[in-house]
Amino acid sequence: MVKYFIESIIYSYSQIFFSNRKWFGIVALISTFIIPELGILALTGVIISNLIAIWLKFDKTKIRNGFYGFNGILLGAASSFYFELTPFLIGLVLVFIIITFFVSAVLEHHFATVFNLPGLSLPFIISLYIFFLFLRNYDFIIYKEFAFIDYPFLAFIPDAIKSYFKAFSLILFQSSILSGIVLATAVLFFSRVMFVNSILAFIFNYIFLYMIFPKADETLLILTGFNSILTAFALGGSLIIVSRKSLLLIILSSLMVIIFTGFFYKLLSFFFLPILVLPFNAIVLSTLYSLKFRQEHSDLVLLYFKPGSPEENFYYHNVRKNRFERFKFLFPELPFFGEWFITQGHDSEPTHQDDWKYAWDFEIKDEEDSLYKDDGKTVDDYYCYNLPVAASLDGEVTKVVNHVPDNDIGEVNLKNNWGNTVVIDHGEGLFSAVSHLKPDEITVEIGDEVKKGEIIGRCGNSGRSPVPHLHFQFQASDKVGCKTYKFPIAHFIERTGEELFLKTFDFPAEKTYVRNLEIHKTIKKSFDFKFGDKLKFECTIDGETFTEEWEVKVDILNMLYLESDRDATAYFYPYEKIFYFTNFVGNKKSALYYFYLIAAKVPLSYHEKLKWNDSFPLSLTTNNLTRYLSEFFLMIGQQIKSTATVEYPERKEDATDYVLESTLVTKGEKLFTFYKKADKGKLIISDEGYIKEFKYYSNEKEIFKARLLENKENER
Amino acid sequence: MADKKIYEKPIITKHQSGMINKFGSSPITTPKTEIDGVPVKDLVEQFGSPVFVMSEKQIRNNLKNAVRIFKTRYPKVQFAWSYKTNYLNAICSVYHQEGSWAEVVSGFEYEKARNLGVDGKHIIFNGPDKSEEDLTRAIKEKAKIHIDHADELYKIIELCDKLNLKADVAIRVNMDTGIYPKWDRFGFNYENGEAWQALKRIVISDKLNLIGLHTHIGTYMMTADAYRVAANKLVKLAKNLNDQFDIKLDYIDLGGGFASKNTLIGQYLPAEEVVPTMEQFADAITSEMLEFASTPDEMPTLILETGRALIDDAGYLITKVLATKRLSTGKRSIVIDAGVNLLFTSFWYKHKILPAQQSSVQSENATIYGPLCMNIDVIRDDITLPALKKDDLLVIHYVGAYEVTQWMQFITLRPNVVMVMEDGSVEIIRDKEVVEDIVRKERLPEKLKKFKL
Repeated sequence: MVKYFIESIIYSYSQIFFSNRKWFGIVALISTFIIPELGILALTGVIISNLIAIWLKFDKTKIRNGFYGFNGILLGAASSFYFELTPFLIGLVLVFIIITFFVSAVLEHHFATVFNLPGLSLPFIISLYIFFLFLRNYDFIIYKEFAFIDYPFLAFIPDAIKSYFKAFSLILFQSSILSGIVLATAVLFFSRVMFVNSILAFIFNYIFLYMIFPKADETLLILTGFNSILTAFALGGSLIIVSRKSLLLIILSSLMVIIFTGFFYKLLSFFFLPILVLPFNAIVLSTLYSLKFRQEHSDLVLLYFKPGSPEENFYYHNVRKNRFERFKFLFPELPFFGEWFITQGHDSEPTHQDDWKYAWDFEIKDEEDSLYKDDGKTVDDYYCYNLPVAASLDGEVTKVVNHVPDNDIGEVNLKNNWGNTVVIDHGEGLFSAVSHLKPDEITVEIGDEVKKGEIIGRCGNSGRSPVPHLHFQFQASDKVGCKTYKFPIAHFIERTGEELFLKTFDFPAEKTYVRNLEIHKTIKKSFDFKFGDKLKFECTIDGETFTEEWEVKVDILNMLYLESDRDATAYFYPYEKIFYFTNFVGNKKSALYYFYLIAAKVPLSYHEKLKWNDSFPLSLTTNNLTRYLSEFFLMIGQQIKSTATVEYPERKEDATDYVLESTLVTKGEKLFTFYKKADKGKLIISDEGYIKEFKYYSNEKEIFKARLLENKENER
Repeated sequence: MADKKIYEKPIITKHQSGMINKFGSSPITTPKTEIDGVPVKDLVEQFGSPVFVMSEKQIRNNLKNAVRIFKTRYPKVQFAWSYKTNYLNAICSVYHQEGSWAEVVSGFEYEKARNLGVDGKHIIFNGPDKSEEDLTRAIKEKAKIHIDHADELYKIIELCDKLNLKADVAIRVNMDTGIYPKWDRFGFNYENGEAWQALKRIVISDKLNLIGLHTHIGTYMMTADAYRVAANKLVKLAKNLNDQFDIKLDYIDLGGGFASKNTLIGQYLPAEEVVPTMEQFADAITSEMLEFASTPDEMPTLILETGRALIDDAGYLITKVLATKRLSTGKRSIVIDAGVNLLFTSFWYKHKILPAQQSSVQSENATIYGPLCMNIDVIRDDITLPALKKDDLLVIHYVGAYEVTQWMQFITLRPNVVMVMEDGSVEIIRDKEVVEDIVRKERLPEKLKKFKL
């Protein structure tokens, strides 16, 4: 409990800088004590806020992460910054800290539920303004003169840079340049992206300020400067994923800070109120809100997960995009058995054009690349003719055409273009259609519920079909011949020569051989982690041997995760035919970490030499100076990437186990081409259906090894 | 320089007047001069005559074709190579490379598969004759044992108790599929409930894993419908097992028996035109199998033990004309150097035989005799062939199945078996026998060693 409370205080400090690091909070906390009375009042602010939150039973995780505490810090610090403190005033400050808590609780909730926006420091501003106006009732309140403590030994620093540090210190209402230096350094260690952003923001702020207000003094520079820096933190990486466009956003928002400051300056002077972080709040909230109304969210992506550092956000988002960009919660498969050849794919000649461009034509090819046997003059010669056609996804049959006769080879029926067709409603507005089926062989009727893989008809040659083939498309209505809809196949195997490659959430390409995944009992059983299951491993890492236990748990969002007793958690998503790890957090010196690296994506299917690719967030694979240096350039693009090639290698006939091998390469690009690290992982699955062993090698040297000791399946 | 005209002995043929019939004029025989690009003449020069020639490419293509046909009709398919059809190591290896398991019917074949490197769990052990040692080994090595009769069932239970091991078993089911002859000598009968009784006995045993059902309805089946009936009956059994005992079978094994391109004696039209295609067999089987469940994941694997139809047309026998003579009736006869000792199937097939060299369009009926000094040694009773002379070569087609397993060492020695590889090279896959091979096994009692004539 004490630990929890202390953490809630420390994270409140980190929150102000969009950080989730303990050390950052401690540094910020200490820096406030450069002026002790300010430090004390700020600390009092957070203690009171968090105590109330705990007492009133607010969300525990939010309290711990500092959601309710940071406004208290700011109010405490601001009071000490603006006023000469007297016992009476201190009493009032304590009251207003309580008020701030309630304002922030209300605003936080309201913003989150109504606008899906963060509350930022708006609660603090509102409370402080109320406090300011309230204090007008008294005539004995003494306002502090605003002056920065300057240190002679720092005289060598140019003025502009000093102003930069001053702006930093003002974020915590410090009037010491030293605290600015400490905080800026802390930011550098926490995030290179934020550090670069702060410099860029300050520079543009400087330029715009003197362009718009040529006579502005340093106070105004510092005031607008710290607003610009905070805005750049929020929009340039903390709340929006950093990208090249972030630079534009930083330039624009620096300009807006000047404009808003000018506006608020005049507006608030009527009430004798300070501007504080109002421009930052106004700009960030309005920018975030307006970005929500775009049609496409492919860039300047708003944070949609629990935030980390801008770097972590970036890595997580990009890897997720890479792996799940086309993930749609529906998992259609190819509508047939065995391996077919795609004679026409998306957007191709002659017929998959315009409104009908997202369709596939499938046929069968033999060893000699021929689509038919004998002379190909009758439909029966065609390998695909009369083959069963299956539903690609569960759904309800909404249209059936079953009467169009098959054409002779070379003839087309333009009157009944689509021929015999079955349209299935898969729910969520998704429909699929298979066309040119064989007449009178359709085995379903309108209203039938069909399951994925269930036979619905047979491949034929009806409609506009000169040779037998299967036409397949997704569409958004139940009309026959409706406009096609671009929707990915959840998983399939593409064959090129002897090579088998697993594709996920992808569009099968023209002139490729494709087939569905076939579940392999053993592999499926090994990855069938059910709630309550426990696994225990004997592990060796760097010569140290220990046992580690995992338990399968489920969170309130029904996300399953493996929790290791070595303080590590790995979320996984076992959907139908592929096992996915979606994220890893915690101790990297754990078996779970290496298991996550090796088995991040595993098809529950077994084909010798089946290969697939995957990618990892750099923050989870690499932790060294080179990575930190590369992050100065993250706004331009990712300089170092971690990707994996995974395969089921050739299997000996007498092998009892199944082996999965992963090659994880972390490689630099452009400036960082010198950097390359290749690791190898090996997973051994027992043929009785459990994870038997896994090993991890770095530069050919075994660095980790785990062997299953116990596999306790939850009684169910 | 133009090819020199070949000299042929003059023949007298009866002039037939009348209309030209709709089948056209008399057949012009196209000679088979090469096998997969290798001249027949070269093969004989290198490996002697007679010589069995197997085509690696044809074997692979046949299997790939069959796999494609079945896998595009049913989601889970596994082929198992029927060893008795042709168990030369090289042949079996080609099938195993293409992913086929091994289907064996004796301890000898089992041993052969194991020696080749096939793991126990990829061996299907069929047949009525499995010795105690065979069964012990199969249980230990996790082979899939297909039980043929109740005595065997009890033997297996007894052995499992003794070994304290569980055996993976299936039963062979025989049934009426509407064809004659009815094969009811192997396995347990479906119609009289014997099969169900056996299954129940297996289910209550804690030593047996019931993993599949097996049937083999006959050989050289001329109708695909019989398979439809067979599949339907096995699916019914599997469903009952699922409903009554919640047993989900791994597989249903429909055995083999698909007809090949060889024409049977007594069959009027050539087999190529009348036997069902692989697609028709596949349609019949899979359409019934698909009835088992609505989604692929719930369906059992379909195992096929197709032998003959996969290999017959990948084998050739090249033989040399030893002599030509006229029989007393005036009918031409040809004596070749391959007899029924090598072509056991001559007793029921009308083998397709083509000359290996160009000849004129004139052809005449003939009887082909083998070289054995036995009256039964007839290869073809009546075949239309162009004129042939001593040392001409003939290529006997579709001899990939059963010949090199059923051949016998009789009167003479067995020849080379070679394989034309995919790259056009030729490898010997079984050396021709020498006298030593045969007499090595013989023992001569001391008393009999000396004689004087």
